[in-house]
Amino acid sequence: MTDAPGKGALRRLTDWVNGEREPKDQTLFVMEKRRLSRPEPTETEHAQRERSRLHRFLRWYPAAAVLICLVLSGALLCAVLALPAFGDDDAPIHNEVAEHYLEYTREETGAANAVTGMILTYRGFDTLGESCVLFLAVSCVMLLLRREDRGADDREEQKLLQEDAIARERPDRILQSVARILTPFLLLFALYVLLGGENSPGGGFSGGTILGCGLILYAAAFGHDAISRWFSQRVYAAVRTFGLLLYAGLYGYYIFLGANGLPCAFRLSLAIDLAVGLVVACTVYGFFSLFQRGEI
Amino acid sequence: MQNFLHAVLNNRFAVAAVLLFGIGFLNMLLQQNLVKKVVGFNIMDSAVFLLLASLGYIEGGVAPIVGEAGYNPLYINPIPSGLVLTGIVVSVSITAFSLALIQRIYRRYGTVVLSELLEAAGREED
Amino acid sequence: MIALEYILLAGLLATAVAAPLCRRLLNTVIVYLAFSVIMAVLWSLLQSPDLAITEAAVGAGISGILFFLTLRRIHALKGTRDD
Repeated sequence: MTDAPGKGALRRLTDWVNGEREPKDQTLFVMEKRRLSRPEPTETEHAQRERSRLHRFLRWYPAAAVLICLVLSGALLCAVLALPAFGDDDAPIHNEVAEHYLEYTREETGAANAVTGMILTYRGFDTLGESCVLFLAVSCVMLLLRREDRGADDREEQKLLQEDAIARERPDRILQSVARILTPFLLLFALYVLLGGENSPGGGFSGGTILGCGLILYAAAFGHDAISRWFSQRVYAAVRTFGLLLYAGLYGYYIFLGANGLPCAFRLSLAIDLAVGLVVACTVYGFFSLFQRGEI
Repeated sequence: MQNFLHAVLNNRFAVAAVLLFGIGFLNMLLQQNLVKKVVGFNIMDSAVFLLLASLGYIEGGVAPIVGEAGYNPLYINPIPSGLVLTGIVVSVSITAFSLALIQRIYRRYGTVVLSELLEAAGREED
Repeated sequence: MIALEYILLAGLLATAVAAPLCRRLLNTVIVYLAFSVIMAVLWSLLQSPDLAITEAAVGAGISGILFFLTLRRIHALKGTRDD
């Protein structure tokens, strides 16, 4: 009996976290009705007042917007004209940090491309945050656009089935012939850019987007059935989560052990590059698939 | 006047970036169509990236790839380039999310023009 | 080289001004794709090849695809309305 209030609070907390009940469901007090000073406006008066307020706002809005924009652009222009000249050698931005990155990237990270080596090792946490943003973006778009119940949205479902049947009967010959030639080259080129990002321009982001584009071309030309045979929903979720977890795991381990020195043992940066590329490719393909069909 | 022209020509990328930012911002505020607002937002984003990456350029510099030929002392600054690389990919994520929102709005209200949307939403509240 | 920079910057400003002024949404998206491609060439002029590859793939590729798919959903392309 003594721990019953405690259990009640815990049960209320879990119910609220699970979205089943509002927290103030069992308020002990009732808000007292204040006596109004003037009679409440009727429904149509209220609507008219709202509409006139909207019209008044919309009349002043363009002028205010142009004024704010001009003031902001003017201030920025004055600030920007005081910058050091473009391409200047003695600009204060070229300090010893950049020199260190350029001189020691080759030996400390094993990468010849200073930009790729820098974003994977020296500035690795920025890239981790960016991978999280990509993961989150696909999750949010999934929340918005995913078709949940199969039978509920009848008209959309019918239209989609119809389009699938048409695409299967009369395939787009031009697109399919082109895709049959281009897709292997696209995927190969994407892999080359991904894995060769250390010694030449490219890296995780570029290779990942090209890989995503290859998958999009294949999916657009041959239909959803052809690609979900080997890139189904489970594989997609597994690859996406694996990429992000690999990156987060590596850097979590590294930060909990002092963050001293660089994680460049045993070609670690290549694995991190691959993880970033996979996350970006899955993001891009996920966007396309959700926009076109509402499912991965 | 001569000084002003000289200053503009010295910082041409930065001035162009600020002008683009102003154009994009104006479009985002004033356009009535939601898709054009998203295009304006993308132009703003690209302007910021142009400003950032133009800060790292050194006159006569080459791309910062330490090749077999040894260390060339005229590399450009790699740091702004790395920052912008992240920014470009985040920008496309935001664009995708905004377009998904526009699709849902269209499914709900049947229009993507802002004035009609405000009226429909206002009418719904009453 | 400087003449090329000026021409490209002028092209950038011109496409940025023209993109939202088009009457049809399809034209807006196409002019925005041109803006992205000019941006990609500018990145390679600024000696950043990583940015050039990424901007070309993302701006003119992914962004364009997403815009066209959205335009199809909001029935802003001619000939897709199922009347």
